[in-house]
Amino acid sequence: MPSEDNRPTAPSPLPYTDTKPVGSADFYFAINATFRFLLTRLGREGWVRYLEEMGRAYHAPANRRWREGRLPAVASYWRTFFAAEPGSDVEVVEQPDRVEVRVRVCPAIRHLRAGGREIVPEFCQHCYHLGRARAEAAGMIMRLAGGNGACCHTYAEPEAALPPQDPAAITTVPA
Amino acid sequence: MIGCYDFCGHYEWTFAWLERQGGHALVREYWEQAIYRDSQRHARELIQGEGFAGMGKYWGHTLTEESPDLGFAITDQPGVFRIDMHQCPSKGFLLRNGLEQYRDYCDHCMGWVGPLMREAGFTIDHEHNHGGQCWWELRPAGERGEHAAPGSVAGERDVRRRPDWAPPGATLDRYVKASDPDAKERAT
Repeated sequence: MPSEDNRPTAPSPLPYTDTKPVGSADFYFAINATFRFLLTRLGREGWVRYLEEMGRAYHAPANRRWREGRLPAVASYWRTFFAAEPGSDVEVVEQPDRVEVRVRVCPAIRHLRAGGREIVPEFCQHCYHLGRARAEAAGMIMRLAGGNGACCHTYAEPEAALPPQDPAAITTVPA
Repeated sequence: MIGCYDFCGHYEWTFAWLERQGGHALVREYWEQAIYRDSQRHARELIQGEGFAGMGKYWGHTLTEESPDLGFAITDQPGVFRIDMHQCPSKGFLLRNGLEQYRDYCDHCMGWVGPLMREAGFTIDHEHNHGGQCWWELRPAGERGEHAAPGSVAGERDVRRRPDWAPPGATLDRYVKASDPDAKERAT
């Protein structure tokens, strides 16, 4: 779509776009509540399956862009994504074989805490299960370290030969 | 990370996923347990505690945050609280992005608002046109009768007065003095 002065505007790196510059933070309440419901009702295996299937299906358009545009597309996606997440403080660092998404302030953990919500202990693991499924769909690998409000997501080309994900590297959110 | 900027997209996807796992019953359970009793507990506290005043506080904040261009109208009169949604930010997101995995995304509102109103002592009149427009009238439980006439509560702000409210071929889902998400009638 051209801009008002008829210059072409760059398409968003996000496949789904909104008319608002940032999302509504109260939706983090629903995301946390959805995790609690799935963990209680379907168990951990069901919750992980939900995240993996969401990663492959709902995020398929973005994954295709990652597959085609490789790491620059991944970096552009996360910069734009976090710009639309209220309260986030994130730096995206591009290296030859990987992209690091350094989350100094996780907007979800921040808002859930501010709202006095009980955060599911597994909350931070969702980024790994979802991110890994998306990376694999794009022919990449993903690792996660940290959590509970600050973490680092790494998306890498297979040649980076990152060590396997250490489950203990993902912080459990304390009660 | 699952984001809030596109929440409505993965929320709608979740309905279809849940239905594949456990049928309609699991989707209903999700709306009631996860959304009403957990996510929206602030709405429950306001509305059960303050009635119509609580509705004004809850929807005044939520709709302004989700729809800053004010594509909605609230009418608060003695005995009735009414919302006219002229441009639903949630359904609008799905329509603009071509997202449709579940048969009727709009059912989720009755899925969590219904139990809330039942427990808070209110009954619901509601219609949605699947195009991002709907209206709600909330009255004390025990009220009877059909829908109020268009314009009789909200005047010109009544969404049913829009020329595009019910275009040829559109389907309207309607609830009359209800609180159950499955208590809907469909009209074409």
